[in-house]
Amino acid sequence: MTINSINGCIGCEECVKSCPCDVIRLDKETGKAVILYPADCQICHLCRMYCPVDAIEIRPEKSIPVVVSWG
Amino acid sequence: MTGLHDAPVPSRREFLALSGGALGLSSLGLGAAWAQNKVELDPAAITNTDHATDVLVIGGGMAGLFAAVKAHDAGASTMMISKGRLGSSGLTPFAKGFFVYDPKTETESIDAFVDTVSRSALGTNNPVYTRQLAEHSLDRAAELKDWGFFDQNLANRSFMKPVTDRDIPLIERVVVTHLIKEDGRIAGAAGFRLDGEETVTIRAKTVILCTGAGGFKPSGFPVCDLTHDGSIMAYQIGAKITGKEWNDGHSGRSVNPADCYNGWGDMFDRVPSTSGVEVHHDLGVDLNYQAYMKGNPVAGGPQVATDDPVAGGPVTPEEFVRSFPAREGGPRDEAGGGPGGPPPGGRPGGPPADGEGGAPGGPPMRGYAMGGASAGMAIHKSEGLVPIDDRCASNIPGLYAAGDALGSHMAGGIYTQIGSSLAGSAVQGAIAGEAAAEFAAGIKAPSIPDTKLAEVKEEILAPLKREAGYGPAWVTQTLQGVMIPNFVLYIKKEPMMRAALAYIEELRDHHMPMLRAANMHELRLVFETRNMILSAEMKLRASLMRTESRCSHYRLDYPEMDTENWQAWINIFKDAEGRMQLVKQPFAAWPRQT
Repeated sequence: MTINSINGCIGCEECVKSCPCDVIRLDKETGKAVILYPADCQICHLCRMYCPVDAIEIRPEKSIPVVVSWG
Repeated sequence: MTGLHDAPVPSRREFLALSGGALGLSSLGLGAAWAQNKVELDPAAITNTDHATDVLVIGGGMAGLFAAVKAHDAGASTMMISKGRLGSSGLTPFAKGFFVYDPKTETESIDAFVDTVSRSALGTNNPVYTRQLAEHSLDRAAELKDWGFFDQNLANRSFMKPVTDRDIPLIERVVVTHLIKEDGRIAGAAGFRLDGEETVTIRAKTVILCTGAGGFKPSGFPVCDLTHDGSIMAYQIGAKITGKEWNDGHSGRSVNPADCYNGWGDMFDRVPSTSGVEVHHDLGVDLNYQAYMKGNPVAGGPQVATDDPVAGGPVTPEEFVRSFPAREGGPRDEAGGGPGGPPPGGRPGGPPADGEGGAPGGPPMRGYAMGGASAGMAIHKSEGLVPIDDRCASNIPGLYAAGDALGSHMAGGIYTQIGSSLAGSAVQGAIAGEAAAEFAAGIKAPSIPDTKLAEVKEEILAPLKREAGYGPAWVTQTLQGVMIPNFVLYIKKEPMMRAALAYIEELRDHHMPMLRAANMHELRLVFETRNMILSAEMKLRASLMRTESRCSHYRLDYPEMDTENWQAWINIFKDAEGRMQLVKQPFAAWPRQT
């Protein structure tokens, strides 16, 4: 599921800005961060590390099938 | 020497082998391939903001930081623009080792250091840039120390310090899609905001590409936001591109292969540090060879004494052969089993790549090694714009590049000096910044006709205006299915590369012009997909052309190094008819200007 949930968001937008892949956006109505494009999450945890209130939970599985060279 | 357009077509069997992979992908529920475009905004209502500056720095990583700071300090009006956040995009947030040549502590002279790198790189490095790295690394590290870079694991705050102190304008979350050339020199750039319904144009006397390298949005390496954006934009306006045949050989793990964070041990949490001279020849692709010949799980890793190694494959010069202790638990680790070796970048299982080495003792156990974590990426600093001098200038007047966007061949076609990637970006960014400021001081601001800007805006917004088209995610995954398998770009041979090239040409000619986007996020994916398609074509053509094996480029059909014909880099450019052309450039020579 990659980035899994955001609970306790304070709307600071740190995660939105620090995500290299534009996975998270701020909901204009609620002012809270939402996971909008999870398929593009590279599971790097930068959003979680920049979050000042530890609101983000991330799971290690990718939400779409992955292509590998061999394995 | 020209391109390979008159190549024979692949056999029916080769086509079927590849198409089977692509057809398989279509059934995995990855989103519609061709579909109506349910556009979420009104393209006609998208506005434009126009800026002007002497020096435009594109990219907010280590190279971009120093390019902007040094251009500003040299007196130029300077602006930064980045697809992501300063210090939190590209590979910069994840590189924790910074090479420093400190004459007070090193026992080896700079001359000796450059010679050692050149021997390991088998001549593929540009010694001018290798030397520059050593000469300037200490000064750059000192500046970073002042800004607090070595005090915290996240780079944004320390990167912001010099930018804020100097009041350098910084625009984040803008995807730059076009470089603009007028009267034979650079005139600016254009793109769009991710967060607003707005295009952005910047008129600039000079542009420094600090856009990093890229990959095919692979699994297990934090490079999914980098798609060679800078070099592809530059290629479109006539710049020469090099180094596309080299391969980064990082491997991942079979359990949750896309999980970058856990795949790197404690790397992402670590505070950056400096390191001294330590030159290797870290291949990584030798593991690809073992897997190709014997299947997986592979035994051991690079240069590891295994129970039954396969002869042949990529060669490490004798002087640089290293031996590692065999893994605990034996070489045949099963998923979730005993100690599974280190993360990608650790040893064995992949090249340590510049201070990106894995944590001693290995990461959480995640199964056996799995290839292609960094697929689509070459070697740091050896893939990108061809420099025409020692100051990061490209063949387009006013256009510079630094760091992984510059094909400086600082390290060569293989990872040599540990930690040199991050340091090299800092060193080259500073040099490019000063050079660009100097160039800008002597010229008038460029003039870009309104018709040209309107044409660029139309190109940017076209995918939003399409009533139907191909989804960029589907096209990307089709490309991944063609390009990532071990037998295409790692263990290279002519028939399979020609077959793959036929696929990529199809994506280029038929799908690329019909990509759709419903919103600004998808618009970004469209341009990233375009860049990956063209980079894939470059990688295939360069790999076909280089009929030898050397460093991280391995040809199963040309396994030997060919010092008679291949003491040369490959430069790629677009000819007057828009076709991709490839030419040799002898090692240790600057390109001839045309």
